[in-house]
Amino acid sequence: MGVRLTVKMINLDPRAKIVIVLCLSTLAVFFNTPGSLLIVLIITLLLLQIFQVKYISLIYKFRRLLPVLLVLLFVQSAFTGHGQVLIAFGDVHILTTGGVSSAGCVLLRMLILFGSAMIIATSNSRDYVLALVQLKIPYEIAFMVLIALRFLPIFIQEANDTLIAMQLRGVDIKKVAWGKKIKYFTYIFSPLVSNVLIKANQLAISMEARGFRVYPRRTYLRVLKYNLLDYLITILSLSLTLAVLTLSIVR
Amino acid sequence: MAFMELLQVSFSYRGQKQLLNDINFSIHNEGITALTGPNGIGKTTLSKLMVGMLVPTTGHITLKGQDISGMTLAQIGRLVGYVFQNPEKQLFCPTVSEEISFGLQNLELPEHDVQRLVKENLPYFELEHLAQSFPLQLSEGEKRRLAIAAVLVLEPELLVLDEPTTGLDAYRKHLLGECLKKIVASERGVFMISHDNNFINRYASRILILENGRLKEHGC
Repeated sequence: MGVRLTVKMINLDPRAKIVIVLCLSTLAVFFNTPGSLLIVLIITLLLLQIFQVKYISLIYKFRRLLPVLLVLLFVQSAFTGHGQVLIAFGDVHILTTGGVSSAGCVLLRMLILFGSAMIIATSNSRDYVLALVQLKIPYEIAFMVLIALRFLPIFIQEANDTLIAMQLRGVDIKKVAWGKKIKYFTYIFSPLVSNVLIKANQLAISMEARGFRVYPRRTYLRVLKYNLLDYLITILSLSLTLAVLTLSIVR
Repeated sequence: MAFMELLQVSFSYRGQKQLLNDINFSIHNEGITALTGPNGIGKTTLSKLMVGMLVPTTGHITLKGQDISGMTLAQIGRLVGYVFQNPEKQLFCPTVSEEISFGLQNLELPEHDVQRLVKENLPYFELEHLAQSFPLQLSEGEKRRLAIAAVLVLEPELLVLDEPTTGLDAYRKHLLGECLKKIVASERGVFMISHDNNFINRYASRILILENGRLKEHGC
């Protein structure tokens, strides 16, 4: 039963997945209390579990965000001044319950946004182009989105390789002063921009050589079909989100 | 003591089956060692392990008796020069001259020594007329020559070259071979990955073959 549900959910139409992600993101942006955001996060994690996405590594990666959250915690406590004061230095509030709540909200919100975005990764990027085209978005724009998604990991890898090459030629990046570090980062940036332009040019030539935009219309090897489960999920997601938002506003 | 030693090194990329299995070998900083084997067998992975770009799943690698897991890439790079299979990956400076001088400046050499070494190396690799060109706009062969020049100028004790002859014409292969001979003559070692049997047979003093994740010595 569980396996069948997982298979059905993974095979959902990409448009239905986009709706789920939009609903979760809307709720994450709308809610402003740790309690309500925690409920949205639990729903997101349950969905990730159903979609068989390994989300533990995502949570683990968020440890890098902890210094930023700590800064936020003290900034919010010192400047917004709401909530009960937990630690104070003279008249300056070092830590308040309001600050703790704000920092918690930022963490939960980011977890929901990144977690919900992981649902997108359960479909082939090619299917999202079809989904966008069937949502009447021009093919050129949809294709650009696909290309950006496809090339992003390659560019990250290239930047990483350049950084390694630099270190192997004597740069100890951890010991370098900030001024020099910025200079070295420009060294990573310039080949990356150049490579993007070269690849874009090569891709454009290759696409035109294969008849891209020769005719105003194009046919597709596969056409996405919205089935009953897709309709159900879409209606359920939208109606639940609208109901929760309406209730929150009315209250 | 061997310059570099790999002891019971195994490696697998995350979520994939084991690529390298119980690799044991040592390299002295002398002679030319060639590594050959079919495509996708893990030759480049092995070279990346040797320069600390990857970490073995099990086993360890020592460089001059020191475990490289405790060394930074910059420290390894002082002893081992690495030329990538795709030279574009290691070209990042705005001009060819700066590309060659980059590593020398990190060694904190005086400016006149840096200038002298750049001037000596540019003509040797036939890059003199391209001194002010943008490296990524060079031809494939020129990029490869530049990548090799930028690493060789640092005079590493061991030079690791991944497919160095790709994109080079016969004359430049000969130049590269002669250059490798000069390196060896200056009591330094070369480890190269190559499919170019003619080049290997002509220049290599030791041939290693990687097959099914295991390493064997040619002739053994």
